[in-house]
Amino acid sequence: MTASEQLRAAVERERMILRWSTAVAVILGCVGIILIYGPIVWLALMSISEQPLTGKPGPFTTIWYVKLFTDMRWFDPLMVSLAIASTVSVLCMFTAAAIGRVLPHVGAVGLVILSMILIVLFMPGVMLGVDFIIFYRILLGIRTGVWSLILAHFVWAFPFALLSVIIVASRFDTRLLEVARDLGAGRWRCFRSIELPLLLPGILSAGFFGFLLSLNELPRSIFLRGGITTLPLFEWAEAASHSTMVPLIYGLSTLITLGSLVLTVLALSLLFKRETA
Amino acid sequence: MAFGGAHSNSGPILVVRSATRRFGPVVALENASLSVDRREFVTLLGPSGSGKTTLLRIIAGLDEPSSIVELSIGGADMRGIPANHRNVATVFQHYGLFPHMSVGKNIEFGLLVRGRPADERRRRAREALELVRLPDMFDRRIHQLSGGERQRVALARALVTEPEILLLDEPLGALDERLRREMQVELLRLQQKLGTTFILVTHSQEEALTMSSRVVLMNHGRIVQDGRPQELFEQPRSKFVANFMGIENVLVGRVASIEARTVNLVVNDRQFTGQLLTGFTPAPQEPVFIATRAERVDIGNGSSSSRGLNSIAFTSSLSVYKGTHYDIELSTPLGTLVSRQPKPLQAQEGGVALWSSDDCVVGPIDREIDLKGCRPQGRNE
Repeated sequence: MTASEQLRAAVERERMILRWSTAVAVILGCVGIILIYGPIVWLALMSISEQPLTGKPGPFTTIWYVKLFTDMRWFDPLMVSLAIASTVSVLCMFTAAAIGRVLPHVGAVGLVILSMILIVLFMPGVMLGVDFIIFYRILLGIRTGVWSLILAHFVWAFPFALLSVIIVASRFDTRLLEVARDLGAGRWRCFRSIELPLLLPGILSAGFFGFLLSLNELPRSIFLRGGITTLPLFEWAEAASHSTMVPLIYGLSTLITLGSLVLTVLALSLLFKRETA
Repeated sequence: MAFGGAHSNSGPILVVRSATRRFGPVVALENASLSVDRREFVTLLGPSGSGKTTLLRIIAGLDEPSSIVELSIGGADMRGIPANHRNVATVFQHYGLFPHMSVGKNIEFGLLVRGRPADERRRRAREALELVRLPDMFDRRIHQLSGGERQRVALARALVTEPEILLLDEPLGALDERLRREMQVELLRLQQKLGTTFILVTHSQEEALTMSSRVVLMNHGRIVQDGRPQELFEQPRSKFVANFMGIENVLVGRVASIEARTVNLVVNDRQFTGQLLTGFTPAPQEPVFIATRAERVDIGNGSSSSRGLNSIAFTSSLSVYKGTHYDIELSTPLGTLVSRQPKPLQAQEGGVALWSSDDCVVGPIDREIDLKGCRPQGRNE
């Protein structure tokens, strides 16, 4: 073989390796997506099947959806969940905005505070639920109920909300505030006209995260519910008790999942929207 | 006419007296004093870290001096008054355009803050855009603009508030060579049209000479010379000034003898003669610099010992074409000297470099002469 033929063979080998590794990566990616979305699609299929509890799809029917909207026992828990989630969402927006706008610009202190907040993410939810009930009810005297749920959901959702604001705030060019001051703007005007509009995508997605994480929260709610029934608590209880509600849960879960999906896509597109767009 | 605020009161528009700014142990600005008249175009020139931007930020109110005796703008005491209450505007090197606003809203911002009604804001913003020759850009988004257009929008945004002083912080630094020259002319045109006081910060000696009638040269946080560009060229108060202004031939020697204002000095056993800077009287044996510009250096071929003429032999040369002339770098025993000639020289050809002692300025090495008197400040450069 001449030197030039050897070179060509080597280049061809490199191309083959690249082709194969790309193929493997695509296949693994598809497996991952199927593992994540398979159950959700299956759930949707079950919700329109006559015998959902058998786990086999078909023959297809809309009977469960019709029953879902005649037997409305899930409606009150949904309203409770929406009310709690909305409150948590607003709380998340305000606190994440207030803290997240400063943290990227205060150096090492910001990092320490951020890690303190993020550590909460790594604690098991059930354990935190027990901790909360002991600390809030016994030590602080907070009665379990709506407010303890809101508090627990907020503690759970806040780190995510904060991260959304920080992603945007760390891209924020603080020199713009100096420019605004130079043009005659006071502090409030600087915040309202320059900082807030530029941080808004992060603040709004903080709200979305707060809303979704609260809406679907179960482990902490089990301990802190008091007399309150949220939607996840309702579904959990119904699914566990083999009641006639069970087939309906499929339909309900499908609807909630679809709704959450839309909100999540909205939140993410806001978060990663280019500043210049 | 919305521009060119007519100020009837006389007196300097800006007075800074003894401004000092420390950042921890670092002295960024030391005892700087500056007085600027209305309609003046002043350049703060200096290498990076010389304190020129710090001085500009103190004038804008974006930075607080550690100590200051006087700071007045338009006759009013501005010490401790924050930036948003000062009637000055800055054009930043990074432009600082607000990315979420259109070009028009950016320019209107200063008027919005001042509570002007919407129709007036719009009208004046359009006028400002015409002033910087971007009449059709009102509704553009910032990211659609080129670098030069952003520069003009930043300029329009600063001018629309009719500041008493326009501060320009290396505004042309990010532009390419052709645009730089265009904007230099543009700024001059605007300044003459509006009659606003301009203070420009730059590290480019060439820019300072092109733009302004007065150059304030800074080094290590201090103002080292303040005067017309010709003065800085012909009477550099220190070796730093001579070097920074681009005087090509600067040698260092010791004083041998002084006759009136003519001084004989010795550079590595060679005798040279030059004229003392006004206000400078060196001690015998004091180290001094001697500076001559390239266009004053002639090339001859015999040694000359005529009085009032400095000379040194060179062994080879390198001719560098500069468009309208050649800069000929001569290899001499004292290092490279530069002579400006209309024609190139044969590289191998030796000869003698000749220049008149009247074209040589002799000044101090390690101290600067006080600008007003002869009081030596006794500080290292």
